[in-house]
Amino acid sequence: MIQAFAFYLFASILVAAATLTVFARNPVHSVLWLILSFFNAAGLFVILGAEFIAMLLVIVYVGAVAVLFLFVVMMLDVDFARMRAGFARYLPFGALLGVVLVAELVLAMGAWSAGAIALDARAAPTPAAVPNIQALGTVLYTRYLFIFEAAGFVLLVAMIGAIVLTNRQRRDLKKQDTARQIARRPEDAVRNVVNQPVGEGVTL
Amino acid sequence: MIGLGHYLVVSAILFTLGVFGIFINRKNIIVILMAIELILLSVNINLVAFSAYLGDLVGQVFAMFVLTVAAGEAAIGLAILVIFFRSRGTISVDDVNKMSG
Amino acid sequence: MLRDLQLVAPELILCFGALGLLMVAAFVGDRSLRLVNWLSVALLGAAGLVLLGPAGNGGDAYLGLYRADLFASFAKVLIFGASAVAILAANDWFTRDGTHRPEYPILVLLAAAGSGIMVSASDLLTLYVGVELQSLAAYVLASFQRRDDRSVEAGLKYFVLGALASGILLYGISLLYGFTGTTLFDGISRALAGPEGISTGELFGLVFVFAGLAFKIAAVPFHMWTPDVYEGAPTPVTTLFATAQKVSAMALLVRVAIEAMGPAADGWRQIVIFSALASTILGGVAGVGQANIKRLLAYSSINNVGFALIGLVPGTREGVSSVLFYLAVYVAMTLGAFLCVMRMRDLDGRPVETIGSLSGLSRTQPGLALALLFFMLSLAGFPPFLGLWPKLLVFQAAVNEGYVALAAVGIVTSVIAAYYYLKIVKTMYFDEPAGAYEPGRRTATGVVIVAAALFVSPLGYLLIGPLQQASLNAASSLL
Repeated sequence: MIQAFAFYLFASILVAAATLTVFARNPVHSVLWLILSFFNAAGLFVILGAEFIAMLLVIVYVGAVAVLFLFVVMMLDVDFARMRAGFARYLPFGALLGVVLVAELVLAMGAWSAGAIALDARAAPTPAAVPNIQALGTVLYTRYLFIFEAAGFVLLVAMIGAIVLTNRQRRDLKKQDTARQIARRPEDAVRNVVNQPVGEGVTL
Repeated sequence: MIGLGHYLVVSAILFTLGVFGIFINRKNIIVILMAIELILLSVNINLVAFSAYLGDLVGQVFAMFVLTVAAGEAAIGLAILVIFFRSRGTISVDDVNKMSG
Repeated sequence: MLRDLQLVAPELILCFGALGLLMVAAFVGDRSLRLVNWLSVALLGAAGLVLLGPAGNGGDAYLGLYRADLFASFAKVLIFGASAVAILAANDWFTRDGTHRPEYPILVLLAAAGSGIMVSASDLLTLYVGVELQSLAAYVLASFQRRDDRSVEAGLKYFVLGALASGILLYGISLLYGFTGTTLFDGISRALAGPEGISTGELFGLVFVFAGLAFKIAAVPFHMWTPDVYEGAPTPVTTLFATAQKVSAMALLVRVAIEAMGPAADGWRQIVIFSALASTILGGVAGVGQANIKRLLAYSSINNVGFALIGLVPGTREGVSSVLFYLAVYVAMTLGAFLCVMRMRDLDGRPVETIGSLSGLSRTQPGLALALLFFMLSLAGFPPFLGLWPKLLVFQAAVNEGYVALAAVGIVTSVIAAYYYLKIVKTMYFDEPAGAYEPGRRTATGVVIVAAALFVSPLGYLLIGPLQQASLNAASSLL
């Protein structure tokens, strides 16, 4: 009972938040709605017994990706007022498309209970009496080691890409030269002036 | 116990909202990127739900990789968006029109 | 474990080589450009060479996640070769407008590694990670000239539509996983071959997966990004998209269709037939009015993908081998054509892309005009040139299985498409010279142009025997 209640709570908020992500007038609001939908999806994952994925979703998505979005929205100084103009033009067509697509998908989903599922085809059956995170780790670092490494390279490409595209040398700024700062010794910077007569300046 | 069908319906609605969001947002590319995130979230719900009902961990492992790749994809998408904004001063889809034919 | 590492050796070499070169580039700076370029080409060569060992045809690695067979090796040779050419060609191209950076060859290496993983994938997870490794690198490469408005726009367009396609592909993958209970291609094939046939859910998964892959090979109806991205992206990058990426996505599609969904052939055959017909027709007709040669080659690539798909329709060994043969010849023709386009520069050294500017090229630069003539006539499929042969093989494979109408439509559209190739030939040979071009420069790509031109010339017929044997052997590892 409590499970059904939790499911409907999370699912309805998730769908509502996702709708508002797409329809919100202000992109900052969109990002905030997106964060709310991630939280509720995490709730659904907890009900399904996938605690680790739920935690990942909150930490990686809300913590990093959504904040990245927020950062970019704030950084790009966009005039939001004129951005919603013309929105209604595409609405009827889009709505029709959406209704058809969702109806078809729901129809297809209904088939799941009908078809026999080949349970013997499973590659990594969930072990009983082992915590979710331990079971995942065991599979991830053995059977899926190759994919794990490849995913690392995907992230490397993302990093190189983001740097290559956005990094620019600004010549109008004064930059710090760390190496020079560290290499500087007292002899280079300080000069002792002894026996300086009073009233005469120091030549620099 | 909630049936698998419920999860699949939620996921189907999210997927549709995501596709929908890409097509109707003609003014703002950031919202398109967020719609893509919604699509990937719907895929993750599918994968985790199937994983739980099949009693198979592969779905959850797959969901982790989808999360990883989606993070990289978001980073590159935003990087391209930033250079687009720098050169045009706008992030509207209607301004993506230098080429046609 | 050691055996597994041997089998994935090509991708290991590319990935770890790229890491090493990244270090060189980071610590030496832009002065390392030449070194990084040549080392990247050497790495691609090394990755190709290890295919002679166990990595070429050694069976499954990582419990069936990765498959090193002749089919994958055939595709990898094409991919690595085309990537190497894209690096060599970029050297001159980017250096001249001062935007060359060592990250370009490194990203090409990582994209090639992703392509390699794609064509060797025998599990949906491997497929997905390979596709994304390749695509993410491709998005960055498309907008590599970040000060050029068109390049940035091409990157943005490619990214948004590519990410949507990945989402659709993934949704299909999640359905396939749920309804068959496995992500292994063999397991999916067994589940689809079960007594109760194909369920609605599996069919939906299949349709979504094919839609996602159709985007990656730029087949109609998911082709709309192609002309804009091909036009806007820097020409060396376009070359990469039209050759290496096309081959990897096409090989992946063939493997998924045959290995994972062989028992559901009746389901996907209709999709492939529709896509093949629509691609040949649209690629043939829409190319006619184009004034930009890169856009024209984009439509040409759509047209060619349609022909290659015709070979997939029968789903036979002969058909698959004709697809591979087609891809091999297509890569040579397309590489040559794009390398010629890269040599089109006006007297100030600025790149020119309009077809009109080719006027009278035969008189100003006879060599370049002759090479372009070879590639255009071969793409059009005119008799003495090699481009005719793969088309014949594809049609033969279709007709042998009773798809006569399909082959007939293919022949008609190939005649329509011949019009725009001939238009270029006419412009070069019969029109009055327009503006002068800057004289050709000696670069490494000149050798590639000559080699590709000789390959597509009637001399290439000498290679038909070995190439056909190789493609048949490669196809046998699937069927």
